[in-house]
Amino acid sequence: MNARAAWPVLVTLAGAVALWALGQAVGAYWQIVLLNVAMWIALTQSWSVFSGLTGYISLGHVVAYGIGAYVVVSGWGMLPLWLLVGLAGLASGLFGLLVAIPVLRVRGPYFVILTFGLAELVKYAVLNVETMLGKSSRLIFGAPGTETLLLAMAGLAAAATLLRHFVGISRFGRGLAAIREDETAAETIGVPITRFKVLAFALSVTLPGMVGGLMALRSTYFEVLQVFNPTISFTIVTMAIIGGNEDARGPILGVLFLVGLSEVLRSASPQLYLICLGLVLVGFVTYAPTGLLGLLHGRRARR
Amino acid sequence: MLETVFSGQLLFAAAVLGVLYAVIGLGLNLVYGTMRLLNIAHGDILMLGAYAAFWWFTLTGLSPLLTLPLVAVAAAGLGIGLYVAFFRRHLASGAHVAVVEARSLLIFFGISVAIQNAMAWAFTSTPRAYRYLDGVWHLGDTAMTGNRIAALAVGVGVLLAMLVFLNRTLFGLEIKALIQHREAARIVGINVDRVQLFAIGLGFAVAGIGGVLLSMTEQITPFMGFPFTIGAFVVIIMGGLGNIRGGIVAGFALAFVEIYLVTLTSANLRSILVYGIFVAVLLIRPQGLLSRARRA
Repeated sequence: MNARAAWPVLVTLAGAVALWALGQAVGAYWQIVLLNVAMWIALTQSWSVFSGLTGYISLGHVVAYGIGAYVVVSGWGMLPLWLLVGLAGLASGLFGLLVAIPVLRVRGPYFVILTFGLAELVKYAVLNVETMLGKSSRLIFGAPGTETLLLAMAGLAAAATLLRHFVGISRFGRGLAAIREDETAAETIGVPITRFKVLAFALSVTLPGMVGGLMALRSTYFEVLQVFNPTISFTIVTMAIIGGNEDARGPILGVLFLVGLSEVLRSASPQLYLICLGLVLVGFVTYAPTGLLGLLHGRRARR
Repeated sequence: MLETVFSGQLLFAAAVLGVLYAVIGLGLNLVYGTMRLLNIAHGDILMLGAYAAFWWFTLTGLSPLLTLPLVAVAAAGLGIGLYVAFFRRHLASGAHVAVVEARSLLIFFGISVAIQNAMAWAFTSTPRAYRYLDGVWHLGDTAMTGNRIAALAVGVGVLLAMLVFLNRTLFGLEIKALIQHREAARIVGINVDRVQLFAIGLGFAVAGIGGVLLSMTEQITPFMGFPFTIGAFVVIIMGGLGNIRGGIVAGFALAFVEIYLVTLTSANLRSILVYGIFVAVLLIRPQGLLSRARRA
């Protein structure tokens, strides 16, 4: 590996270690904030691997999160944590493969609405299964502490960032970007569009499954409506769009911006935070469609 | 089994829901058809109309039907405001349809989240309902509440008025022309901007009216809108873009399928059915609405 290729790896790993080390130094409240930062970075980078590169915006990534959470909670106490989290990733990745082929036939905006509808469909299906089993909320005993979760989550955030980076600069990533620019043209010049899209989609939902699995252990009870909450998908999309799409730095900027906003506003009222989230998304789409990354670049270019 | 299928009770329930779906689909058809704006906040306009009717009735005790003109005007104003603020210039710049759709989807998504949470902030998420005209009428062995009869009657009236407007007046025909072929409409001298402004106002007004009718028959919450947005999309995908009659037929078809499947299975499965139908319809017509639109 030459120096230029090694540089982003070093920065990413250093960032993850710094996040974890910071977690050792601060109190319980800020540990949770850091855990949230790591979680959103892992989710948004994963989302960007598929939606950022191909332009197929998924509003349904919460499905992966929810499936992962469901797997971990169902097996909790029977299998060790690392194995459960691995299974969570496997389950959501397999789900991604399963739905990708029919769902990806739907193009453009219909794909976007379809992912939202599909996520709601899965949510209500799981809810009905749980009601039939008489387990609409489960208690979780003996969950690991925030420090353990933060360590694991920092690892996932680093993994997702590197995945986004290396897919972005690979031949595979160029193929995905070609699909975004013009799918028909990409097919004509020999990009195997179906294989690329399906693979990217499955890759993109695997890590969110593991994230959901870890986050399920954050609270002492498990509620279907909470882990399949569409607000999670919405936040991912907003973070990615605010940050910008160009490379792996965009999602990180978006996450820091919105977690900051949430820290300022959430104590006032969670609804106020969501109102602002909606307006911020509208503002960026209208006035700065290239996101914070684009704004920074624009300023540099003007200088 | 058979008596379930032919019971007047179910037919009546399906008819009421069908009129609502047809009205909601019509509103979305006007907005999506003329401008290709993917308004996924459509159901939230409905929700706003429902809240307006609820507060009007709760505070004044007068008939919620009296709010219809006010809600229609306010909703039209909201639509026109959004059009001027976010879409007029972008549409005039001749942006590609795919870009218009994707951009409008994200903007309306943000607006939807903001509206829902603003309402939850102001009025909490507690489900609300009011009792108006809830006396029961009998027709044969079918029991009908007055509010459902009223919703049905007003809904049918709105649909008929819209059909006449769109097919018999010059302005209505201009809207239909824009839905069928934007460029051709421009070439024959239609003032596209004015028609768009009017179409989004009308589409939002119809959605607001749908919300008032809905509030008479169902509980209202700040988050009630999205399933109706989904219902509206099913209606225009099945009925055909810009095809107003097709949309009305599709609205009734969707309502019948929903009511009968829920009756034959369980009320818990209602959400699964609505989203299941939506997913199935999109998977069967993956190209969305456009292929049908060209034929229309």
